[in-house]
Amino acid sequence: MKNFKTILLLILVTSVLNRCTDHVDYEAIEGYQITSEIYFQQEADYDAALVGTYDVLQWLFFNIQLGAIASEISLCGGESATDYIGIQQIDDMTHYPENNVLRQIWQFLYEGVNRANYMEQNKANIDFEGKEAMYGEVYFLRAYYYFELVKFFGDVPLFTEARLTAGEAGTLTRTPKEEVYAQIELDLQNAIASLPNSQSQVGRVNKYTAYALLGKVLLYQDKFAEAASALDNVIGVYSLVSDYGSQFLRFGENGPESVFEIQYSNQSNWYDWGCAHCSEGNYAIIMNGPRGWSGPEYAQGWSFNVPTAEFYNSFEEGDTRRDATVLDIEAFAAATGASYTEGYDHTGYFNNKYIPRAGESGGQTELNYLTNFRIIRYSDVLLMAAEAYNRGGIDDGLAQEFLNQVRRRAFGDDDNDISASGTALTDAIWEERKFELSLEGHRFFDLVRTGRASSLITGFVEGKHEVFPIPQQEVDISGLTQNAGY
Amino acid sequence: MRKSILNFIIAFIAVCTGLQAQSLSGSVTDSEDGEPLAGVNIVVQGQNQGAVSDFDGNFTISNFEFGSTLVFSYVGYKTLNLKISSTDVISDNISVSMDKDLSELDEVIVIGYGSQKLSDISGAVSTVNSDAIEASSPVRVEDALQGQASGINIISSGSPGSKPTVLIRGITSYAGNDPLVVIDGISATIDDLNSLNPSDVKSVNVLKDAALASIYGVKGGSGVIVITTKSGERNSETKFTLSTSVGTQEVVRTIDVLNASEYAAILNESSVNAGEGIVFPNISDFGVGTNWQDEVLVDAPIVNHSITASGGSENTSYYVSAGYTGQDGVVAGGEKSFFNRTNFTTNINTDLSEKTKLLINTNYSNIKGKSLAENGITSVLSNALNFDPTVSPFENGTFGISETITQEIVNPLAQIDNTYNENKVDKIQGKIELQHELMENLNITSRFGYTYVNIYDKGFIPFQFYGTGHNQTNANPDLSPIVTVDSEGNITSTHNRVFEGNTNFFNYTYELYGNYDFTIDEIHNFQTVAGFSIGEGKGGNISATNEDVPFNSWDYADVSAATGNATQQTSSSWQYVNRNLSYFGRILYDYDEKYYASFTGRVDGSTSFGKNNKFGFFPSASIGWVVSKEDFFDEIPVLDYLKFRASYGTLGNDNINPQFSLISTFPSYVFNGTITPGSSLGSIPNDDVSWENQVQMNVGIDTRIFNDKVSISLDYFKKTVDDLLFSPNLSLYLGVPSYPTTNIGSTESTGLDATISLNTSVGGLSISSDINFTTAENEVISINNGDKYIWGAGYGIPYRNIVRFEEGFSPGYFFGYLTDGVFQTQDEVNNHATQNGAVPGDIRFVDVNGDGIVNDNDRTQIGDPFADFTIGWNLNLDYKAFDLSVFTYASVGNDIYRAYERNLNYTNRFASTLARWTGPGTSFDEPRVTFVDSNNNSRASDRYVEDGSYLRIKNIQLGYSFPDSLTEVWGFDEVRAYVQVKNALTLTEYSGYDPEISVGGVLNTGIDYGTYPQPRIWSMGVNIKF
Repeated sequence: MKNFKTILLLILVTSVLNRCTDHVDYEAIEGYQITSEIYFQQEADYDAALVGTYDVLQWLFFNIQLGAIASEISLCGGESATDYIGIQQIDDMTHYPENNVLRQIWQFLYEGVNRANYMEQNKANIDFEGKEAMYGEVYFLRAYYYFELVKFFGDVPLFTEARLTAGEAGTLTRTPKEEVYAQIELDLQNAIASLPNSQSQVGRVNKYTAYALLGKVLLYQDKFAEAASALDNVIGVYSLVSDYGSQFLRFGENGPESVFEIQYSNQSNWYDWGCAHCSEGNYAIIMNGPRGWSGPEYAQGWSFNVPTAEFYNSFEEGDTRRDATVLDIEAFAAATGASYTEGYDHTGYFNNKYIPRAGESGGQTELNYLTNFRIIRYSDVLLMAAEAYNRGGIDDGLAQEFLNQVRRRAFGDDDNDISASGTALTDAIWEERKFELSLEGHRFFDLVRTGRASSLITGFVEGKHEVFPIPQQEVDISGLTQNAGY
Repeated sequence: MRKSILNFIIAFIAVCTGLQAQSLSGSVTDSEDGEPLAGVNIVVQGQNQGAVSDFDGNFTISNFEFGSTLVFSYVGYKTLNLKISSTDVISDNISVSMDKDLSELDEVIVIGYGSQKLSDISGAVSTVNSDAIEASSPVRVEDALQGQASGINIISSGSPGSKPTVLIRGITSYAGNDPLVVIDGISATIDDLNSLNPSDVKSVNVLKDAALASIYGVKGGSGVIVITTKSGERNSETKFTLSTSVGTQEVVRTIDVLNASEYAAILNESSVNAGEGIVFPNISDFGVGTNWQDEVLVDAPIVNHSITASGGSENTSYYVSAGYTGQDGVVAGGEKSFFNRTNFTTNINTDLSEKTKLLINTNYSNIKGKSLAENGITSVLSNALNFDPTVSPFENGTFGISETITQEIVNPLAQIDNTYNENKVDKIQGKIELQHELMENLNITSRFGYTYVNIYDKGFIPFQFYGTGHNQTNANPDLSPIVTVDSEGNITSTHNRVFEGNTNFFNYTYELYGNYDFTIDEIHNFQTVAGFSIGEGKGGNISATNEDVPFNSWDYADVSAATGNATQQTSSSWQYVNRNLSYFGRILYDYDEKYYASFTGRVDGSTSFGKNNKFGFFPSASIGWVVSKEDFFDEIPVLDYLKFRASYGTLGNDNINPQFSLISTFPSYVFNGTITPGSSLGSIPNDDVSWENQVQMNVGIDTRIFNDKVSISLDYFKKTVDDLLFSPNLSLYLGVPSYPTTNIGSTESTGLDATISLNTSVGGLSISSDINFTTAENEVISINNGDKYIWGAGYGIPYRNIVRFEEGFSPGYFFGYLTDGVFQTQDEVNNHATQNGAVPGDIRFVDVNGDGIVNDNDRTQIGDPFADFTIGWNLNLDYKAFDLSVFTYASVGNDIYRAYERNLNYTNRFASTLARWTGPGTSFDEPRVTFVDSNNNSRASDRYVEDGSYLRIKNIQLGYSFPDSLTEVWGFDEVRAYVQVKNALTLTEYSGYDPEISVGGVLNTGIDYGTYPQPRIWSMGVNIKF
């Protein structure tokens, strides 16, 4: 009897253990998670991955902010001298490799590159109608991300085949920027070849967006003839809006002058400060608002990116762009009875293009401003074309015509037309870019590209500050070389 | 070993005088060695007289009546009752010998899948019994372990019911050092102790080394806390105990900040120093203004009630209890901050047959709580410290507001008023266990343990007004929504918001094992166990939010009542499951209770581990030698007992989740003005990932000296963790996916635990005292993640990282700038390394790397939050009906980082600012005040690091047991009343509320975010048995 019980028990134990052999296996489906092994099997997966590739554009708010703050026309501002220290240092040209803002810019741009590459790596999985046109968008986006990387950092690691794996950490070196530019041009040419002339959805890039970006990329390399011919394709496709300021308001978004905009929305109620960039709203907007604001039209913010008085006063008489670009807060408060508190570096002026406007955010106010970034406007295309025609020695007359189209819109008449030519015309075009495109993220890079940064930006050291330092963490982990002077 | 023979001798020596009352003399000796015992308490039972033996063991009792009983009591010896009749005494002298009470050493303790006599254990263990727990009457049982057992550090918080940080023998892992908790054989966690009523606990044993903990394998790496709850006794009448205590809690210390006129003066100076005008033209108007700390800190009640009944028949025993604990918060009081727990426990043990026993333990608890923001810049205490003192608490029937502070910092009273939340927990934990004696000495145990938890949370963010333009303001002053009209005439409005969430956990473990004990040749003793364990843990959550709560009222705050439309509602959910399967076995061997050896092993499989590493093996071994049993030992005087122990083994830590190459559907972008969902690669797997592998070594000595009056235990340990689990810092050009956890680092901890106990009595006073000493030194040996460190916590706005887990350093050390006083003159600034923005009066930071520039590369180690050593000292005194216990705890060498200063231009400052620099020679450590801090004086530096060493009298309890004559009249068996003071006195140099700072993890230890101070608690209570 005793033995019988023992045997019974042994049978029980053995059978239980047999049942248990797969007890400690686990599949992702148990947590309702999708693995990469079952992805890219249907067209919808590609659609979603493309949306994911666009998504990174929304994270690039610091890129735009720095284009102004690093230049002479705008100061960092903020709450105090230590508020966003990384931006304060860049404003003062005292930045060095340890800089959270630069690290974020670097990492986000590479996330964009990797998302585009992830699509590239899965391109051959299945075929469907419109796939080539879809990949036109992918290549455009990759070109945009690499272009930003080259603008900020110079030589950067270049890879195009696939998303990097964990094992590839630390294995890459910096590619000369000429080769990166060649890849950017190639991607844009491929995009132009496959993109449609127009898209059914607002916010998607088309063939002309790619031409415009290609023109800009070529201009950055002083390839004037090629730039002119690329931009020629865009001339006449878009038009200037008659009221300059209207295009920076909510209902001026994606208008007839808009070539490329980064799209934002106030429809989500994002409130995770630990991932501010995860919002669908534009984080730069809350940064640029007046502090402690109580009054009409605008909403309160953190008083960053404040234009200088010199800049405000440098607008010509009759230029309608001044008040559309810069908000004179003292005058506005005096006129409306509004009140505010002064932040650090208070100049009395605010960035009127990207500023919190009452009612334009979502449930969580700070992180959900709907304001789009105007990345390429038609006036930029005209001024780039003017510069290409002028500096390339191709046709100053045409250059004048493009330039004056922009000026006529600004002044409302043709009394202010420019008739200069040669280098005087070049100077006029460059000066026009400052007023037409200010606070939109171009100024610092225009100054660097045209060799004028050291004469205009206090603290700018030639041979060093043309590019930003490679993030220290990347130097430490990946063994990348540092830029000269840092 | 059991020497339980009562061996007293009474010598009959003649002389019988025939007198009924006379003087009686005698002497008391130790039964073993015949040494005289001094200080033995001798009383005549039922009479109010007695004596105490002198240095030679002699005593005399006058007016002794024959036929009475003498009671001999002495600490460390068994109490002896002796009835003396006239015929027993043959001279006027009696000789009495007393036996040592070795019961403490004979105590059988639960060590996991079995039990062992404490004296037989060759691993490292600490035990705490119910008396010690009762003496400290904690809200959570682990609070009672602080300083009671060596090798264990408990860091508590004053927040009602909050979970303390529990570290057993130092820090080994970067992620999670919570020990495993086993309650009556059921695996649980430290979090589960919130629902256990401390008065239900019979004993707590802490398994500290590999020899003992490796029976729990991969879960045992941070030590194991084995808790046994009370049970009834067979064949005994029902006994009731009733305990009740009520107390009040108060905050003892406040922090010196500027009063209103000081604040105004300092702000004027700050403004002038920044080249601006005066802020407050007339300082004298302000007086002292509002002390916000006094406004928010209140005296709050704490109560504890419990009733238990236990007993048993021949076949069944039972223990049932009901308990209630209520603690209100000292910050703001019980309306917005409390912890209430109700418990019901039933433990039943019954014989199904002669050989089969059934044990059913069930514990139900219900917890309700509300909480306020704590430990951060937006906490109530942070607001109390930083808010403008010139503002009145109330103005015109509403909360006072600041016109100048527009970010984060608000009137703390308004914040308290606007905080609405509640948390309800229902939990059932228990086991069903069958024990069957298969044959003699072979017992099979089949146990099903389970825990079910349901947590319901609700929160409400009402319309609130902290001043126009304040970033926390979401309403107009009359609390109507803010309606805005944009340039195109679109109308938008702010909303209030309600959140509800429901979370469930269900864990079960089934275990089947056999214990077989046998002896060979009467001298080789074996205790063996083998078995397996299978378990699963599941959890899930569903939550929802909505806007537009009717009447902006907490009463209507519910998702179902809110009137927001579909786009205003959000919902979310998550779930997880993990499973494990383990096999374990252990052999305990001793040779004549003189030489000991043990072998333990466990194989653990887990869903958490990578595909290529599903099972891990964790073996350990130990040896012990009781030297005092050797023949030669008799020659050594003073030493009564001596034992050497040593153990070695491996353990694990499995703080990882299953890993896959996952597609994230989180990314989205905006097309046609509409948010469009997208995807990206979210995470990358590591199929080879395994547990953290820990190698532990322990050597120890137990000894007793001076007639067993003093006992000493000493342990030295060394833990090495290889394969530390990390999510490494990979190249930034990989983008942002979460990269796989990998095994890429190692740490080492070494330390010493010591316990010295003294048991003696002087006169009628019996003294029992022990001192615990704990030290652990931790070092990160390697991190192979590229830059050799990972960042831990930071603080403040803008955020500053201050904690690093770095190769070659103590884990979680503070990292920042070193300071070197204040620049007195421009010359000093010029002669120093380039420090951007510095002017005289600013802090001089050290150019650590000597490159001539002060920048981030000059940051270095500025502090270590972990103590060099801690000491706990218990003193228990008994004198007649009185008992006194005092517990003192000291932590030495731990640094604290002060991180509760907001540093806005208009926020308040600390009183130390009054000693600021105002010109050459005026101050050498406190910088100038200015609205434009171009030097960034507030950067993370050693200015904020303070020595956090402290000595604290944690507990004083004085009790009185009423005499039987009274209790019999009342109808009770025992009645004891006591008064108690907790956290009676703290000696520290630290300037904050409380040097004992618990925020939870290794990577944010020792950062004072405005920690919730532990209150001083005055309480009184009564324990009744009947």
